[in-house]
Amino acid sequence: MKEKIGITTTVPVEAIIAAGFAPVDLNNIFVTSNDCQGYIEAAERDGFPKSMCAWIKGLYGACMINGIKKIVGVVQGDCSNTASLTEVLRLRGIDVIPFSYPHERSAENVKNELDRFMKLWGVDLKSVEAVRASLQGIRGKAILLDELTWRESKASGFENHLYQVSMSDFNSDPEVFEGELDSKLCEIEDREADEPRLRLGYIGVPPMMADLYEFAEQQGARMVYNEVQREFAFPRAGYAKNIYEQYADYTYPYDIDFRLKEIKKQIEERKLDGLVHYTQAFCHRALDDIIIKSRIDIPIINIEGDKSDRLDARTRLRLEAFLDMLCDRKEAL
Amino acid sequence: MRALGIDLGSRQVKLAVMKDGKLEDMRSYSTMSFYRNYCSYREGIRLDTKALGLSDFDMAVSTGYGKNNTNMADFVQINEIKAHVYGALAQTGLEDFMLLDVGGQDVKVTRVEKGMITDIELNEKCAASCGRYLENMANVLEISLDEMANCSSNPIELSSTCAVFAESELIGKIAEGIELERLCAGVNHSMYKRLQPMLANFKGRVLVVSGGVANNAALTGYLANDYDTVIKLDNPQFNGAIGCCHYAARLASKKVLERHVE
Ligand code: SF4
Repeated sequence: MKEKIGITTTVPVEAIIAAGFAPVDLNNIFVTSNDCQGYIEAAERDGFPKSMCAWIKGLYGACMINGIKKIVGVVQGDCSNTASLTEVLRLRGIDVIPFSYPHERSAENVKNELDRFMKLWGVDLKSVEAVRASLQGIRGKAILLDELTWRESKASGFENHLYQVSMSDFNSDPEVFEGELDSKLCEIEDREADEPRLRLGYIGVPPMMADLYEFAEQQGARMVYNEVQREFAFPRAGYAKNIYEQYADYTYPYDIDFRLKEIKKQIEERKLDGLVHYTQAFCHRALDDIIIKSRIDIPIINIEGDKSDRLDARTRLRLEAFLDMLCDRKEAL
Repeated sequence: MRALGIDLGSRQVKLAVMKDGKLEDMRSYSTMSFYRNYCSYREGIRLDTKALGLSDFDMAVSTGYGKNNTNMADFVQINEIKAHVYGALAQTGLEDFMLLDVGGQDVKVTRVEKGMITDIELNEKCAASCGRYLENMANVLEISLDEMANCSSNPIELSSTCAVFAESELIGKIAEGIELERLCAGVNHSMYKRLQPMLANFKGRVLVVSGGVANNAALTGYLANDYDTVIKLDNPQFNGAIGCCHYAARLASKKVLERHVE
């Protein structure tokens, strides 16, 4: 079995795979475990303060509890908390390989960083491009799944979220993952189309509480766009001439204007009625909400998650009222 | 298009009639007498519009206090928060504001962005920040609510968070011989302080105030320190019923109605 390399978010996994390792997204281990709270507990016992984002604690717990020895930590472009987290992990004896999304998104900056990263893994461009090409099939299937959600109204918002979010590490085994995706696609394609009453977009980091999707569907609303999850799947990788272009065309870690451009495009194309903007308690990205709300015309509800993996009663009440009014607006037209 | 809107409150039933966007009639009844004199039970609550002297509606919408009492036959029922927001939207013409509704027995705070509810805070458990508190204190001071509502300067400090304790504190202050104006201002200010924690997550530029307590000028005056603009709705206690009328007007659009009939 290949040695597992923890990743703190989406990174150029092509290099890790080319080097013969298996990437494992620590977020996915954390959030899909039956014991999320235990992971957070583990971090708090080791001194992580209450006022720290739960994802950071979860990542820490995921490393400690699963005996991860080596990780790639994104120290720029994602989150300054992760940068500090990598220092603590080093203290605990974990080998940390840093990766940065350059502050200024230029082809040259991205190329420099990727070259440095490939060198660290001892791989060359050719072998990385070979891996990139071999992943193109799965990426195409993720696009298909996305289309089955927004174009054909067959896949649920949760399926759309789950399979795209899993593309950050291909569940550590691209081949097995592709097989799973294949059978899921078959199952979904056989379904009758089920047009939701409301078409929602979900923007921001993936949610701590996945029951959000089910709750929305119960109110007749489906997330037919999962912004960051879709970015994890690199839907535009097929147009990128090389790995450098692919990672320069990834919206989330760069400036908000670049991100908004893509969001706006998807609002149009997918005919979205409203947006759910998810932010995490104690995360600097909560400030994005100010910009997003002033730059986007359709109604947006901001919901904040903290440690719980279930929607709380208050958030349910808020969402219910928001979706109810959104329905009124849509149907009164 | 003639619409009837009814807000079935815990203590008062408010009723509004709107024709082509114009309010024609507003009435309120004590909840007790409303049910006793104008309602009968036959597979749900039936309203005797004849006895009320009301007829010829194209659409009737009701909302209610909590989940109780809203089951009126021949009425489309809507959520209370939504009714209030539709009322405020239509009456202010604004799309972005905070709505504070202080009724006799409950407080609702709502954030409205781009015309949609995006946040809600409710207090239905404690009477200390509701109209009931002001009524009790006015009784203790043997002064009318209206008179009390105009006193805002130099308030005495009523420290406790509980309405029952505040009453004994107030009596202590009366015994100390403090002038009535300051006592009244103290009551109004204590009400304001109790609302503050509820408003903590609802900072913004514009605050719209509805519910009977909106008539308390001292309170809206204190609130004006925290917002650029404080708007008191006309007939604030009828906002829920007015919202129902406006919603009824929307229901005239067939598609929306279909959903309720489903
Ligand atoms: S949610 Fe925010 S603070 Fe938490 S890990 Fe992500 S970017 Fe960092």
